[in-house]
Amino acid sequence: MEFIILFITILFVSILQITIPFLVKRNVVFGVTIPYEHAQDPKIMQYKKRYALITAIISVIVLIGFLIWSQVNTLQQPKLVLTGSILPFVILFTSMILYFFFHYKLSKLKREEDWYSNIRQVHVTDLRARAKDEMLSSFVHLIPMVITATLILLSANLFEQLPNQIPIHWGADGQPDAFTDKSWISVLNLPFILLIMQAMFLAINIFTKRSGIKIQAGNVTSSTLRQLRLRKYSSWFLFLTNILITILFSFLQLNLLYDQLFSDRWLLFFPFGFLFVMLIGALVLAVKVGSVDSDLEGKGITGQTNEQESVDEDKYWKGGIFYFNPHDPSIFVEKRFSIGWTLNFANPIGYVVVFLPVIIILILSFTL
Amino acid sequence: MISLNPESELPLYRQLTNQIMEAIVRDELATNDMLPSVRAFASDLGVNMHTVNKSYHELETKGIIKIVPKKGAIIIANKRQQITAHQLNKLGEAFQPLVVEALVNGISQQELQDLITKVLVKIKED
Repeated sequence: MEFIILFITILFVSILQITIPFLVKRNVVFGVTIPYEHAQDPKIMQYKKRYALITAIISVIVLIGFLIWSQVNTLQQPKLVLTGSILPFVILFTSMILYFFFHYKLSKLKREEDWYSNIRQVHVTDLRARAKDEMLSSFVHLIPMVITATLILLSANLFEQLPNQIPIHWGADGQPDAFTDKSWISVLNLPFILLIMQAMFLAINIFTKRSGIKIQAGNVTSSTLRQLRLRKYSSWFLFLTNILITILFSFLQLNLLYDQLFSDRWLLFFPFGFLFVMLIGALVLAVKVGSVDSDLEGKGITGQTNEQESVDEDKYWKGGIFYFNPHDPSIFVEKRFSIGWTLNFANPIGYVVVFLPVIIILILSFTL
Repeated sequence: MISLNPESELPLYRQLTNQIMEAIVRDELATNDMLPSVRAFASDLGVNMHTVNKSYHELETKGIIKIVPKKGAIIIANKRQQITAHQLNKLGEAFQPLVVEALVNGISQQELQDLITKVLVKIKED
């Protein structure tokens, strides 16, 4: 069971890493902005294919190696889980190195070819785009918070009856494996952490909504559709994540309040079931967003002349990955070499939204 | 579509002002339509908030929009309304240096009228 889950996870990470150059916006190749008319340049396509090929070879070696290794040795479960959890990072790490290699090569190519010399660079927007935005309302993230509030009230009510030892850590099978003395902090620890995460999800939704709908002047129709899909599906994915985490935490807290409320079989099912749902959600997001304004869309760059492109913003992207643009009030922007959002590191609000909750959760965990 | 060119001699905020007015002329925007908040508009364009803010204030001074704090701006200009004497006066003053420039360069009255007709056609076509 563990093996299958780990194998699927590695496979999933592999496929995403192999296909990513073909799923990202086609005018940004390995973090380097290219005018649309050169996006399918033979040399650029060759770089993408080489990246995909090398990543694929490494992924196959890792997957087959993992399969053989687990069959030959009769392994202890912790060792299997540890190895299986490290392997996706091996693939991520190699694709990262390849990314930097091709990022460097493409930056060089861009300098040599001087693609932007004859192109007018403009800032564009469509006033009708905001009306078409289908992001989930931020209010939906208040619903899980109500559940947390209920959990806190329930825990406070049952405080006197609880045993003197409170679980603070759970294994992958959902069983507690570390305990601490009963106190208000240890009993309410889980609901508090949950509440902070829910507040973070709420804030991410609010600030993503406020962030810019970035339209590419070189391909208005497709780039608008891609932005709208990214906003819509990522907000659904965020809400799904919120719900799953709320269920998981509520379930752990209820098991703490009412001893052995759920059977061991449920305990096993939960983490794996969640991983499965998250993987499916991520896959839907990747397909829905990655199929528009990418190489997968085919050649259809329609309706626009190529003498106009959006302003080349490469100077704001450090290493093609970190966005630092003090002029742009957006807090989240579309990632350049993955599907999803990244922070505008020039905007302090972003740090508060993403890092503050993590710091509070870490402090809460260490005070126990 | 709003499209601002940083290379142009005209400052970005002025370009934005002109394009919002052109959108009204072309019926892409109508009276009582809402313009996005300064933050949202600047985010969408990827420009500084000052640019949008300056443009909104310019449009407000011209009596074309009314700024609603935090929400955005509402278009109050009405094409179907008769232009007021005051507005006509102000426009006359703004036209004067341009007409003078045209005259200095030897334009005739007929050519001047043709030029205005041409500009009118161009604005509606774009």
